[in-house]
Amino acid sequence: MLELKGFACGYGLVQVVEELDLTVPSGRITALLGPNGAGKTSTLMAIAGHVEVQGGQVLFEGEDITRLAPAERTRRGIALAPEGRRIFPDLTVAENLLVGGYTQTAVAARETEARVMALFPRLQERYRQRAGTLSGGEQQMLALGRALMARPKLLLVDELSLGLMPAMVELCFRALVELKVQGLAVLLVEQNTHRALAAADRVAVLVSGRKVYEATGEQARRDPEMVDSFLGLKEMA
Amino acid sequence: MYYVELLLVGLVWGCTYAMMALGLTLVYGLLRILHVAQATVFTLGAYVGLLVANHTGSLAAAFVAAGLAAGALGPLIYRLVYQPILDKPPFVALVASIGVLIAMEDGFRLVFGPYGLSFAKNTWFTTSLRFGGLSLNLVQIWIAIAAVVLLLLFALFATRTRAGVAWRATVSDPAIAESFGVSVSGVRHLSFFIASVLAGVAGVLVGLLNNLVEPGMGSVISYKGLAIIVLGGLGNVPGTLLASVLLGVVESFGTVYLDKVMDRDAIAFMFLIVVLMIRPQGLLGKAH
Repeated sequence: MLELKGFACGYGLVQVVEELDLTVPSGRITALLGPNGAGKTSTLMAIAGHVEVQGGQVLFEGEDITRLAPAERTRRGIALAPEGRRIFPDLTVAENLLVGGYTQTAVAARETEARVMALFPRLQERYRQRAGTLSGGEQQMLALGRALMARPKLLLVDELSLGLMPAMVELCFRALVELKVQGLAVLLVEQNTHRALAAADRVAVLVSGRKVYEATGEQARRDPEMVDSFLGLKEMA
Repeated sequence: MYYVELLLVGLVWGCTYAMMALGLTLVYGLLRILHVAQATVFTLGAYVGLLVANHTGSLAAAFVAAGLAAGALGPLIYRLVYQPILDKPPFVALVASIGVLIAMEDGFRLVFGPYGLSFAKNTWFTTSLRFGGLSLNLVQIWIAIAAVVLLLLFALFATRTRAGVAWRATVSDPAIAESFGVSVSGVRHLSFFIASVLAGVAGVLVGLLNNLVEPGMGSVISYKGLAIIVLGGLGNVPGTLLASVLLGVVESFGTVYLDKVMDRDAIAFMFLIVVLMIRPQGLLGKAH
């Protein structure tokens, strides 16, 4: 589905990530883990087209999308639930979803919206409410729902669990698993290593902009100390 | 009754301010530009309206022509003046905007003469309606109707149409809105178009109200518009409308009770200073 080859990204003269090779397959949750400042968010934003790709290639369904504008990537099937959620606070839930499905026809958007509502019934209850008045967990559902409205094949999720109550974290992770079962490719960036490990089919660890570990979810779960050591958690424990 | 009439006259002035200030706050909300050159769009609308009215005798045609001419000029100013300097600090656009205003004002002076023109036939101006001891002329009544209708249309556009929702999303987070396929450039042109049509129509109405169209007629109302959008809480549409109406009413009473102390146009800025001392974030702005 998505393939990064010798990928590097950054901001102007500052290169944040270098020489990254990563494959994100369909029907799988790939977790990109690592300490603060490792370049996880930059990688995700570069895949979405918001951060400059400074080297290598980004291939999506075999095509080179390295230089495409964000909207063109959305049209091809990449959607982003960004860090901090960045929903439109003054718009209602319905209006946020409308913008998410802006590239779709009215019929397709209605159909997709029904699927989003089935996944997150809470959004149905809040349908006419201003998004800024939702709880953190509801806002995260809305950010996911808005991304899903674009009918993506690849969903990029940045910090799913940050600032959410445990029950909400559970709900959101369960939704990701359901989406993956439906065949979506999910690339997840997460600080909550243990929760992400539990859900991930594939795990890659970034430290200071370099990939230092890659394994299947199963391997990584059997080997949590190994991941912890890369994350610098072992010394703390 | 006298006070009610003062109030009504104030509300009518407030309506003309609202038509100007809404456009200014739209542009500011989207681009952080203080669009002083909006005054020139207003004046162009007034001249086009006057010429068409005097040639055809039809005020309806005058409003349509003024709206279209103004609606073309605004996006043109964006395209030619603001777009190339969007990555510069905001004061650069402000200086450019003032430059456009001065150049256009002198352009009007060259083309139409310095003294101003009057409507050949201004029946709205000469017809007054009396009811219950009140007297308003037809221009004042049409100003109120036009403002209410246009602002309602705008509200419908912003909340009930796809383009309107996309436009509000863009104001809130341009990068994310654009990534979902909203054309930010389209939204910007549209904002200038809406702002300019409102200004052009307001120009004809104010021209009719004073029965005079002159090159500098936009300056004062434009500077007041800037005061109003600060009062309303920059980029805040309901606040801007409230501030417009309040300013109109304050001016209306001020011209009677403060006329020994200060000029009508000074009242706006005194009002601005007083309100900002009490509520620095503007009337409806959120405190930071």
